[in-house]
Amino acid sequence: MKILVAIKRVLDYSVKVRVKTDHSDVDLANAKMSMNPFCEIAVEEAVRLKEAGVASEIIVVSIGSKAVQETIRSAMAMGADRGIWIDSGEAALSPLTIAQLLAKVVQAEQPSVVLLGKQAIDSDDNQTGQMLAALCDYPQATFASKVTIADSKATVVREVDGGLQTLQLALPLVVTTDLRLNEPRYVKLPDIMKAKKKPLDTQTPESLGVSLNNSVKMIKVEPPSERKAGIMVPDVDALINSLKNQAKVL
Amino acid sequence: MNPEILGRLHNLLGDQGLRTDPLSCQTYGRDWTKTYEPAPSAIALPTSTAQVQAIIQLANQNGFKLVPSGGRTGLSGGAVAAQGELVVSLARMNKILAFHAQDRSLVCEAGVITAQLQQFAETKGLFYPVDFASAGSSQIGGNIATNAGGIKVIRYGLTRQQVLGLEIVTGKGELLKLNHGLVKNATGYDLRHLFIGSEGTLGIITQATLQLLRAPENLTVLVLGVPEFAALMQILQRFQANLDLTAFEFFSDRALHYVVQDKGLAKPFVTPAPYYALLEFENDSAQREQAALQAFQDCIEQGFVLDGVMSQSQTQAKNLWRLREMISETIAVYTPYKNDLSVRVSLVAEFLKAVDQIVTERYAAFEVIWYGHIGDGNLHLNILKPATMDKAEFFEHCAAVNEQVFVLTQSLQGSISAEHGVGLLKRDYLAYSRSAEEIAYMRALKTLFDPHWVLNPNKLLSIDTSSL
Ligand SMILES: Cc1cc2nc3c(=O)[nH]c(=O)nc-3n(C[C@H](O)[C@H](O)[C@H](O)COP(=O)(O)OP(=O)(O)OC[C@H]3O[C@@H](n4cnc5c(N)ncnc54)[C@H](O)[C@@H]3O)c2cc1C
Ligand SMILES: Cc1cc2nc3c(=O)[nH]c(=O)nc-3n(C[C@H](O)[C@H](O)[C@H](O)COP(=O)(O)OP(=O)(O)OC[C@H]3O[C@@H](n4cnc5c(N)ncnc54)[C@H](O)[C@@H]3O)c2cc1C
Repeated sequence: MKILVAIKRVLDYSVKVRVKTDHSDVDLANAKMSMNPFCEIAVEEAVRLKEAGVASEIIVVSIGSKAVQETIRSAMAMGADRGIWIDSGEAALSPLTIAQLLAKVVQAEQPSVVLLGKQAIDSDDNQTGQMLAALCDYPQATFASKVTIADSKATVVREVDGGLQTLQLALPLVVTTDLRLNEPRYVKLPDIMKAKKKPLDTQTPESLGVSLNNSVKMIKVEPPSERKAGIMVPDVDALINSLKNQAKVL
Repeated sequence: MNPEILGRLHNLLGDQGLRTDPLSCQTYGRDWTKTYEPAPSAIALPTSTAQVQAIIQLANQNGFKLVPSGGRTGLSGGAVAAQGELVVSLARMNKILAFHAQDRSLVCEAGVITAQLQQFAETKGLFYPVDFASAGSSQIGGNIATNAGGIKVIRYGLTRQQVLGLEIVTGKGELLKLNHGLVKNATGYDLRHLFIGSEGTLGIITQATLQLLRAPENLTVLVLGVPEFAALMQILQRFQANLDLTAFEFFSDRALHYVVQDKGLAKPFVTPAPYYALLEFENDSAQREQAALQAFQDCIEQGFVLDGVMSQSQTQAKNLWRLREMISETIAVYTPYKNDLSVRVSLVAEFLKAVDQIVTERYAAFEVIWYGHIGDGNLHLNILKPATMDKAEFFEHCAAVNEQVFVLTQSLQGSISAEHGVGLLKRDYLAYSRSAEEIAYMRALKTLFDPHWVLNPNKLLSIDTSSL
């Protein structure tokens, strides 16, 4: 059984986000980039399925400029078998375009399971997995916190508002991962060395027959308003007083 | 303290600047060593150098004693006030006063928190390299007074290396402005360096000029499993041949056990290892990464390393660092007896083995937790109190072990306090690391800058009334 995992390179979760002075976008100059945390969870889940003997091959795919190769190598060091880099240059891509590109890869590779993060922490769209499922006409299980595959069926526990929902789905399917699905492993140094030798295939939007007509335009980026500094109060009475009269929470 | 003096202090400092309530006395009367019962007479919180100067002058005139106080994260009792002293806390002198882009330096008051300084540097695209687990509470004044080291010493040096200038009020009450931010200044004795590491015994630091540096790029962390003490330094040597490491730390599996158990952190890998090394380097090119991988490969082949992981993101790097940085805080609840020792890097393996032997032979029942900045030859030896044993009895046992460990340290010309200072805790052991002649010069310097021994008396050096 083949698993395809789509991964995105984003601004590192631990980096303080800065907005460009002209508010046109987030400032990525010299910023540390790494794999989207939800994608990391997707790769980890695929590797666990392979370790459990459920999957036989893991393919990772990432779309973007040359730098995404580094992210693909990272996923291969975690345990993916081969990579596909779709070279889209510096173009800004909307979720629909990405889903269209991924659908072509799905068509070519015919995986039984497609794993994606539920969203990327940069654009926070939460659309790609759903659009991909629609384009491929696959069943989908989003926000997965547990995935079990047996007897050509997937049982997926989903995190929904106020509880959990369990679905049973036929293969092939699309699963998007939530935070509690697993805790990704650290990458071992010997595996980093091995990953350098794993096959990494290059595609382009043209080679896949997808045109990059972006229907979404980012107009403005605004940083959140700064939190007000705390105040020190001398004693408990003053604390209660300020909670009542200033913060108005009592 | 007599009410008249309290009144004068109140006039000087105002309502916000003087505290005598029991809670403040408890809080400001102790540092991270919780062994001494705090008993200050009052807490002074000056807001200016002039106020600090006035306090010191008042102390000289009236014969009361002062304890300079920073973030109180010190581990040697240096900021403890247990003898009715007046605590002088720099907490309200916490402003960054100037930034000089071309000099790549800043001027700040002594009460600025270390982490604030780091963040300020970051907003300027620069870097303040002194860092350790208590940086969120410690103050730059306290860092300078203890010449704090931490996790980046191997690459950037100690606090001393960052200090370009100091403003000091001496124990005599005189104001000194030292070195003015200069890189070069060959005009005789560099008094600045006397105050760095003086533990508040010679003067109160009120301002500092600090060097900032280029921010390192893509700091990447390796955690390696190590089969034995001796292999640690082999790993260091092998990696240093290829790379400028920004950190080289170690911890034992027992130390890791506690952070994993109590903080819910994930183990780096499942392969069991008795010791771990944490390395950090600037992974700024494919060649650099290749050099690290090559060094790792060699270490595996030589049997120095059992297994290892490498951070793939800043988030992972942070989490791997937490394995090391959370140790001190995690084991604090087990009332550890702490030692902070150093020897030359080339003697570390021999030293570790010998100390381990002493401790296991004499105290087989005690649990020993090892960690430290081993790339600097600096080891933190922690002995945990058995839950059933009384605290006093436990510390008595440990003091006996100390003698042996210190004799060993002395025989290797090592230090009985690598970076935590002497304070109260190590005062009576000073002679294991410093000669009688050195100590005599230190006492003479103390008397020169602080003739009435008003500042931190009995810390570092015990008061010998005949010398006053
Ligand atoms: C979890 C933890 C980890 C630590 N890790 C490290 C480490 O890796 N490396 C390291 O070196 N230390 C470490 N320490 C020890 C401690 O944090 C440092 O020594 C720090 O520099 C102390 O700063 P502080 O402001 O808290 O000083 P305090 O504890 O308040 O005072 C320390 C000494 O400096 C004097 N002093 C304070 N401010 C002034 C001033 N303005 N003028 C004159 N004298 C003053 C005090 O009288 C006292 O003698 C650690 C402590 C903890 C709790
Ligand atoms: C062409 C030239 C270029 C130079 N460039 C530089 C430069 O770039 N940077 C720089 O810093 N200097 C420079 N200097 C100055 C000089 O070379 C240095 O100061 C050097 O360190 C002096 O060393 P010396 O052994 O010649 O000392 P000396 O000239 O012999 O003595 C210098 C001082 O040190 C004392 N002294 C010497 N030996 C000892 C000892 N063993 N113990 C105690 N005290 C001692 C002497 O009493 C004297 O006060 C330069 C000089 C020349 C001629």
